[in-house]
Amino acid sequence: MIGSLYIGGDSLLHRQPAWRKLLVLFAAGIVLFVVQAPEILAGAAVAAAAILATVRPPLRALRRQLTGVAIILAAIFAANAVFADWGTAFAMLFRLSTLVLLALAVTMTTRTSDMLEVVERVLQPLERTGLVNAARVSLAVSLAIRFVPEIFARYREIRDAQAARGLAGNPVALIVPLVVRTLKSAEEIAAAIDARGFEGAHPSGSASGRTGRQGGTAS
Amino acid sequence: MLEGVSVVRDGRAILDSVDLTLRERRIAVLGPNGSGKSTLVRLLNGLVTPSKGRVAVDGHDTAKDAALVRRRVGFVFQNPENQIVFPIVSEDLAFGLKHLKLPKAELHRRVLEALERFGIGHLAERQSHTLSGGERQLVALAAVMVMKPALVVFDEPTTLLDLRNRNRIRAAITEMPESAIVVSHDLDLVRDFDRAIVIDQGRVVRDDRPGPAIDWYRAHFG
Ligand SMILES: Nc1ncnc2c1ncn2[C@@H]1O[C@H](COP(=O)(O)OP(=O)(O)O)[C@@H](O)[C@H]1O
Ligand SMILES: [Mg+2]
Repeated sequence: MIGSLYIGGDSLLHRQPAWRKLLVLFAAGIVLFVVQAPEILAGAAVAAAAILATVRPPLRALRRQLTGVAIILAAIFAANAVFADWGTAFAMLFRLSTLVLLALAVTMTTRTSDMLEVVERVLQPLERTGLVNAARVSLAVSLAIRFVPEIFARYREIRDAQAARGLAGNPVALIVPLVVRTLKSAEEIAAAIDARGFEGAHPSGSASGRTGRQGGTAS
Repeated sequence: MLEGVSVVRDGRAILDSVDLTLRERRIAVLGPNGSGKSTLVRLLNGLVTPSKGRVAVDGHDTAKDAALVRRRVGFVFQNPENQIVFPIVSEDLAFGLKHLKLPKAELHRRVLEALERFGIGHLAERQSHTLSGGERQLVALAAVMVMKPALVVFDEPTTLLDLRNRNRIRAAITEMPESAIVVSHDLDLVRDFDRAIVIDQGRVVRDDRPGPAIDWYRAHFG
């Protein structure tokens, strides 16, 4: 599920600014929870599917994204059908489907960096309180999106290597090398970010450069 | 630009009173594993700061002006896996440029220009985790070059690559007009450089033209 879902393209949705898409998604979320009628919600789900179709998502990616969600939705539907009634169950099913389809349409057409720019802007007022560093939050989010697939790949690699040595199913043999490798990469990634001059790492910018220029003797 | 530099970790001198002025356009750093090569080159952009002595780049002390120094000195690491920090290649190149507050079109132009310079313009929209090792190293290099540094430091940039990708990186290093300091065991790459420095146990043990330095290195460590 995690990992960038962005799919390049030039659809109408691709060309919308990220803030507009996120705002509409947010508003849709509120409206969907106010509306109760299953018929209207069914219409919304169909509309959401149509919107997603305009993005022309590759079917393989779509199936991968939707199978897990479908299982969860089926479970929620069943629970509602048993504990509430069919009307509630269908309303919930269509409501959540609409949201998932819309969210997918947004994430498939919006670059992570554009989405994070919106997040950074929304966080800016909080930044003034000194509790949050927006640039750092957004870097952390993009790092997570960037490296979760790598960690999964590494997990599979180590699992196969251990299986080849007859250690299949031994959780220690799996977790220890995974943690070690991940920590080692974390160190390297941090160095790479530093080397590229990420200044958000120094809140208010005082730690490096801007205020400390007293050492200007020739080399 | 290094004056009497020592780096001490856990009570042990990893580098011991090193004095060097690095001006040549192509400088190689050679030495056995664990000799202190990475520590030496990490001093050049303030990733490591000296325990004793002083490191300056164009007059800027790396300990005091790290941000300024890093704008002049780009750094390409050994492991291509861990240098690309954004999910999409073009986002990664834009990462450093964001601070410069360029207009969107200009930013986009510079990103593409840097990718095309290394023949990887077609990778702009690819997801970083789907790239091959060689492609990653070229992207990492493009991400450094997009910032237009005057000097680029490479720490064993070809060690983890296969032969074909090694050749691509070699060609990229050989052809770039910027100055470069390259740590490498790849003696073919550094043979045409202007200068070669051999490090052993934290000391400069030979500082010469690559030809004689490589012969000396082979004789002592081969
Ligand atoms: N942060 C550190 N703390 C302790 N020891 C270190 C640290 N960094 C490097 N070393 C040690 O210093 C020596 C030189 O390391 P390094 O500069 O990476 O060598 P090289 O790049 O030539 O292989 C090695 O023995 C290494 O284990
Ligand atoms: Mg090294």
